[in-house]
Amino acid sequence: MDLAIRRDSPLMRLILDPVNILLMILLGILFYLVLWPFLELVLHTITWGDGDRRLSRDAVPGEYTWFHWLQVTASPLSERMLYAPLVNTLITGVISTVIALIVGGGLAWCVIRSDMPGKGWLQPVLTLPYIVPSFAIALAWETVFRSPKVGGQPGLYETVLGIPPPEWVSYGTFPISITLAMHYFPFAYLLVAGALATIDSQMEEGALLSGASRLMILRRITFPVVAPAFAAAFVLTFGKTIGQFALPFLLGAPTQFHTIATMVYANLALGLDSMAYVLAILLILMSLLAIWASNKFVGNNARRFETISGKGFRSRQVALGGWRWPIFWSVATFGFVVGILPLILLGYQSLMLIDGFFNLSNLTMHFWTGQSDPEIAMGEPGVLHNANILGAAWNTIELAFFSAVIASLIGLIIAYIVVRKDGNPLARMLDQIAFIPFLFPTIAFGAMYLTMFAEARGPIPALYGTFTLLVLISVVNRLPYSVKTGVTAVTQIGRELEEAAEVAGASWGRRFRKIIVPLASSGVVTGMMVSFVGVMRELSLIILLITPSTRVLMTVGFNYAEEGLTQLSNALVLIVAMITIAGELILWWAGKSKLVRLREKNS
Amino acid sequence: MASIEIENLTKRYGAMTALDNVSLKIESGEFLVLLGPSGCGKTTLLRCLAGLETPDEGEIYMDGELVFSSKLKRIVPPGKRNLGMVFQSYALWPHMTVRDNVKFGLDVLNLSESDSKDRLDQVLKDLGMSDLQNRYPSELSGGQQQRVALARLLATKPPVFLMDEPLSNLDARLRMDMRVELKKFQASTGSTTVYVTHDQTEAMTMSTRVVVMRDGQIQQVSPPSQLYKRPENTFVADFIGMPRINLIQANQSDGKNRLYSNGDIDIDIGWDEAPSSIVVGARPEDLKISKKELKGSQTYEVSSVLPNGPETIIQLTKGGTILLARIGHEIHVHEGEKVTVQFDQKALNVYDAKSGALLGPPIDTDRTN
Repeated sequence: MDLAIRRDSPLMRLILDPVNILLMILLGILFYLVLWPFLELVLHTITWGDGDRRLSRDAVPGEYTWFHWLQVTASPLSERMLYAPLVNTLITGVISTVIALIVGGGLAWCVIRSDMPGKGWLQPVLTLPYIVPSFAIALAWETVFRSPKVGGQPGLYETVLGIPPPEWVSYGTFPISITLAMHYFPFAYLLVAGALATIDSQMEEGALLSGASRLMILRRITFPVVAPAFAAAFVLTFGKTIGQFALPFLLGAPTQFHTIATMVYANLALGLDSMAYVLAILLILMSLLAIWASNKFVGNNARRFETISGKGFRSRQVALGGWRWPIFWSVATFGFVVGILPLILLGYQSLMLIDGFFNLSNLTMHFWTGQSDPEIAMGEPGVLHNANILGAAWNTIELAFFSAVIASLIGLIIAYIVVRKDGNPLARMLDQIAFIPFLFPTIAFGAMYLTMFAEARGPIPALYGTFTLLVLISVVNRLPYSVKTGVTAVTQIGRELEEAAEVAGASWGRRFRKIIVPLASSGVVTGMMVSFVGVMRELSLIILLITPSTRVLMTVGFNYAEEGLTQLSNALVLIVAMITIAGELILWWAGKSKLVRLREKNS
Repeated sequence: MASIEIENLTKRYGAMTALDNVSLKIESGEFLVLLGPSGCGKTTLLRCLAGLETPDEGEIYMDGELVFSSKLKRIVPPGKRNLGMVFQSYALWPHMTVRDNVKFGLDVLNLSESDSKDRLDQVLKDLGMSDLQNRYPSELSGGQQQRVALARLLATKPPVFLMDEPLSNLDARLRMDMRVELKKFQASTGSTTVYVTHDQTEAMTMSTRVVVMRDGQIQQVSPPSQLYKRPENTFVADFIGMPRINLIQANQSDGKNRLYSNGDIDIDIGWDEAPSSIVVGARPEDLKISKKELKGSQTYEVSSVLPNGPETIIQLTKGGTILLARIGHEIHVHEGEKVTVQFDQKALNVYDAKSGALLGPPIDTDRTN
């Protein structure tokens, strides 16, 4: 039998099929980068480590033990290490999520379903708090409500009113819940708005004709229909809040108020690695439990709530009548307070020579443009001169760029396999594994990579402290999103377009380059921009993996905040916020121009 | 230029059998149409020829060369089969200009720059697309898009054309024009063409032979005229022809072996050897309508009159039996009127009542042409 026939055999074709080869390679890589780190994390917590001898005399490095789990869950330390932070996590998580949902849901209704004026420019303003780094809001809160009881200078509140704010306003459950809600309500808003936009107002008109009142319609028709979206939004928002690290750390740690996420960080800082990992696992379990619960609820009821009927879809706006302008002013004021005011505060604070003195003579550009002065801020020069910061800025851009490009490309390839090999169990598995990083609270994900890459293993060198590791974790963290973007893009490319090229004799590589990539590009480039901005403002994910040589703007800003150099920290966060806002504006503008072009074509 | 042989081809999707032991020989230069209702397997067969689907069993030869064999475990990929295909959606690449769309296939062939350019210019000119070559597909009308798909097919000069309902997205008038044009291009290139459609007019007007399929099996392979006049089973008889054929289930009248009846009407099939239980197939134009009593005629009531330009379709009722007849302008009838009907004995086809297979009468030369 000659070689030509052997190559034509079905088995060889299956093996030589580049898509199958890619499928196997990606499965291997994702298994190693997503599932294996989790196993490593678990293993680490049930094994004696080298550093454990100072904790227990029984420690035999390498042997299995339940010591760390017992220490965390059932020891005199448990109260402070696990149970109090757990309660704090749940309370702040639930309060902030409920507020975010109520505010986000209400705003979504106003924007999508009512005739409120000024929607066009209110919408981007309302999403601002989610676009800027989460701890920008925490820093802004501190600027106003800082309490000198825990040290430092007084905040704006005390300067204006002459008395310090009560401590519960400055630190702990209240400010953390409020600022988390402020950061995440746009997330809930986007989810609910998506669901509201799919409601056919004929459903409501039907009820109106049968004599139901407005309120009754809202309660009996509109709300039940968006209930699954609300449930999903609740779980997703809750999952995000419990993984938040920087924000509760800044507003909690000064008074020893901890959540699980900050406890992971604190334990690692104390060298109690295994304890930190136990907490990280518990955090992951909480997130899984929440997702499982929502799937159980939404999954069982999904059919019942299918809203899109396809034919004769109409979306009518509800007239607010006399409430139109009052509602507009409330929403606009709210948008200003949560979206713009924090940035103004940060900007103003970064101009104060001595923190906490709110008068004009105290204003300076030192923290932006000043040279090193040993009298001020331990000799740190202004952010625009600071080699430390410029290096971090360069690192940030590099990290965001590489992560976004790699994540989008791999996401596209995975999406291609998932869409084209629909029904193949291995392809489905690839899809599912690529989604798993979504379930990991980011700080726990960072902890996994810390255990995984702290030392060299086989052919994989110790990546801890390298830039590569940061790119790696950022890419894997973005994969759930980039695969989703990719699937949307690839699904829109008809199979026949590719078959036409196949019949013409084009190889798979050529088809992918010449047909799939160009046709998917507009969606993928948008996804790339989203990832770019997302990686840029990420802190919790990489805070555990950063070393001085791989610092990025967010970690430098966080370190300044930790050291009390608030002006520098604020200036940095402001820079990141400006870059992310610019990114969002470009996206918004591109999306808008795309819409305009689409409309022109249809007319 | 290339013949195609299909032997015992079977393709299953789970429990569903899309192609059931299909064998077919397609002559070089032939224009073969695969016709059938949706889900009959015609598109699957075409895609198996293209190599876009892998059959479970059987062999395919193209130009004498084995391109697929389940036994020898041989699959030649689509690009190596030397064929061109027009898709139902045209599958034009929206991010490429008309010229780039057509050029893609030539690029894959690695032709010299000048060769490629000459061919490209020629085919664009032949199809009247020269002026539009820098446009994008979305800027073209449906008919123009169809031409680009055709240009893409013609540019690489493949010996085999595969077409999957290429005209189904065009409006009725344009479809007529494109039929003429497609036939012209096929004739001028001499390429073997396999053409899938569910439109019987398209099949009848364009093909040299028609393959009627149903449930993954071939029902009949015939030139179009014979397909109409002599359908080989009741499915084909019923599927071909608008308005549809009259199929009358009838039993032999006592002792008289040419006379059959269904209780309402009596038919003399003019053939002695038919079994006792049959189905008689009579096209609407094979019913002779008259207002006078004729020898062997029976009286019906006109229950509906449907004029349609040059012809009129009338519905006739006798007892519980309803028949359709086609009449010209020479006779006018109105609803409720009584008319007499005579069957054109020579044109009748007789089928076995159980299997639905054609029985006879034996082929009469002036009947099949």
